[in-house]
Amino acid sequence: MIRKILLPTILGILAYGFWISPDFKQIAAGVAIFLFGMLALEEGFKAFTGGLLENLLRRTTDKLWKSLSFGVVTTTIMQSSSLVSVITISFLSAGLIPLAAGIGIIFGANLGTTTGAWLVAGFGLKVKISAYAMPMLVFGIILVFQKSRELKGIGYVLAGLGFLFLGIHHMKEGFDAFKGSIDLAQYAVAGYPGIFLFALLGLVATVVMQSSHATLVLIITALAAQQITYENALALAIGANIGTTITAIIGALSANVEGRRLAAAHLIFNVVTAVVAIALIYKLAIAVDSISAWLGIAETDYTLKLAVFHTLFNALGIALMLPLIGKMVEFLEKRFQRRARTAAEPRFLNDAAFELGDTAIEAVRKETLHLYDNAFDIIASGLSLQADEILADRSLENIVTASRKPITIDIDKEYNDNVKNLYAEIVGFIGEAQTSMTSDQADELFELRAAGRDIVEAIKDTKHLQKNLSNYLNADNIDIRREYDDLRRQVARVMRQLDNVRKVGEDSAAILSIDTLKMEVKETDNRFDQNLDGLVRKHMITPQMATSLMNDGSYAYDVSKHLIKMGEILFSTGSMAIREAERSLALDDEEMVVLMEEDVNNQTGVNR
Amino acid sequence: MKLAKIIDKAERYINTDERKRKEKRKCLKHVLKKIRRYEKQLEQELENEQDIDKHKRIKKRIKLAHAQRKKGLAMMDQLKKKQKKGNAKEK
Repeated sequence: MIRKILLPTILGILAYGFWISPDFKQIAAGVAIFLFGMLALEEGFKAFTGGLLENLLRRTTDKLWKSLSFGVVTTTIMQSSSLVSVITISFLSAGLIPLAAGIGIIFGANLGTTTGAWLVAGFGLKVKISAYAMPMLVFGIILVFQKSRELKGIGYVLAGLGFLFLGIHHMKEGFDAFKGSIDLAQYAVAGYPGIFLFALLGLVATVVMQSSHATLVLIITALAAQQITYENALALAIGANIGTTITAIIGALSANVEGRRLAAAHLIFNVVTAVVAIALIYKLAIAVDSISAWLGIAETDYTLKLAVFHTLFNALGIALMLPLIGKMVEFLEKRFQRRARTAAEPRFLNDAAFELGDTAIEAVRKETLHLYDNAFDIIASGLSLQADEILADRSLENIVTASRKPITIDIDKEYNDNVKNLYAEIVGFIGEAQTSMTSDQADELFELRAAGRDIVEAIKDTKHLQKNLSNYLNADNIDIRREYDDLRRQVARVMRQLDNVRKVGEDSAAILSIDTLKMEVKETDNRFDQNLDGLVRKHMITPQMATSLMNDGSYAYDVSKHLIKMGEILFSTGSMAIREAERSLALDDEEMVVLMEEDVNNQTGVNR
Repeated sequence: MKLAKIIDKAERYINTDERKRKEKRKCLKHVLKKIRRYEKQLEQELENEQDIDKHKRIKKRIKLAHAQRKKGLAMMDQLKKKQKKGNAKEK
């Protein structure tokens, strides 16, 4: 109900305000242009996130001071703590960074956002800022119409900055003219009631505009026009700091539990900082005076003094909260617990991961790994082996020989319960995500989808293999038993070696060692065919057994082939470009055959 | 003269194909280094291995890594040639 009437009420109030005061109209238009500039700026920075941001994050968030600096620097460059916090939530949701690093970035972003006040107070009000806006807009819009993604990005950033400057100009002009008709300063409230009232006003204004930056510019321009008192401006800035968490909270609504934890951390930080700032406001004002005097800021330059205050109380917040990050992570993990999930439910696919191409790709990769984990148990049971035994250190020869009790699982049921739904979710997510991606990113998603299909195919082939395999597991005929054990061992070896590749870090060439696995599987298959011929010729197995063995040999070969293909895509880590380079070096079937022939020729040469 | 150089640099930056080629070469170089390290590590393992089967297997791995490296070097050469062609066209 409230939601339904909120928007028409705001629009009505604004329309009435525009009707009675053209100056108010100019200020509001300034805010609108400013916010539009922020949108364009965000669009522009998103163009540069194809791999670059991900790489930067990998390197810059392994230590707390690094994630803190990352937050400060990126927010200073992008001039939007909201964008940084939304991106951080999406990275966290995709599992790219841990919670502590995310909190570090958010703390840093709080400090970085204060540079905006410095820019506006120190530069924006002292020069004719609109003179810079016009050429930026013209160049920006020309670049926006270019084909190249990078040029488009630069265009959006330029146009965004142009609109920001233009917005500031209109706000400034509006307040200057407003001064002539109404003196808002007469509504100033002194003392703590005023502080609470204006802090609340700052909060509401920021929630409505969803940008503390816009609120702060509005405060600074109003302060410069002496429409509000310095003391009330400080309170407004504190309120704006709490209000800014609304963007992160909205962003976290669609995120997983990690994202919600980060949004809660953001809220805790800003509320605690605000409470401390309000409690110490008069002491902080004295500190601002002495810092300003030390920096050579004039006593009456209230706009710059507000910038000093903004930086000071955010820095104070960081100094207070930084030692508590560990405790905070503990508390948040306890408070926001992952709900118990079935194996078939997706863990990484959520709307927050859609924000950037890279995070969507990483979310799909992690979810496909989850799909493989589910499939691993099914395939192991299909071979009548325990999953943890396949991954153990013991020799597979011994494990396979010792595992004689058939594991009778209904693979169709397991597939429907633990795989089908998850696979469908992944395919659906890919379908939606690829629409807003570069062609390289979309190609990567196609590869991942193919890896998912390989997993499903491997399960289906295991299902065909399972029936005869359980029948012959304890057969009286030792030869058929041995052949089926060979098939089990072959698939189990592939699973074990792929797991080894998965475990090693990105700095190793292990992913390329999958080619060795391919070659071994091919050789085993050739040997299997030769053995089969021998067994039939010598009447050691019946023709019925031979046909079963032939079919199942080809199923086992297909399971291995699908798993290897999946491993090549899924276990390759590092940046997208590195993954692509690794894949381009993997040997194709033809190259593999040439190498195997060389091997055979060498061996016959030696035997001769 | 200086302006011409700046324009040339900007053009090179904007030329996506050229940049992609450069990026690809950089990544290939990185992966080739990793394979070389892996090869050396396998060679050392081979020296210390007494078991005949394991010896054979390591030898095979070295051979494969070598083939991959050869493939990579050929790709690098091709990329270099393409870059040279592109530069010649520009001139």
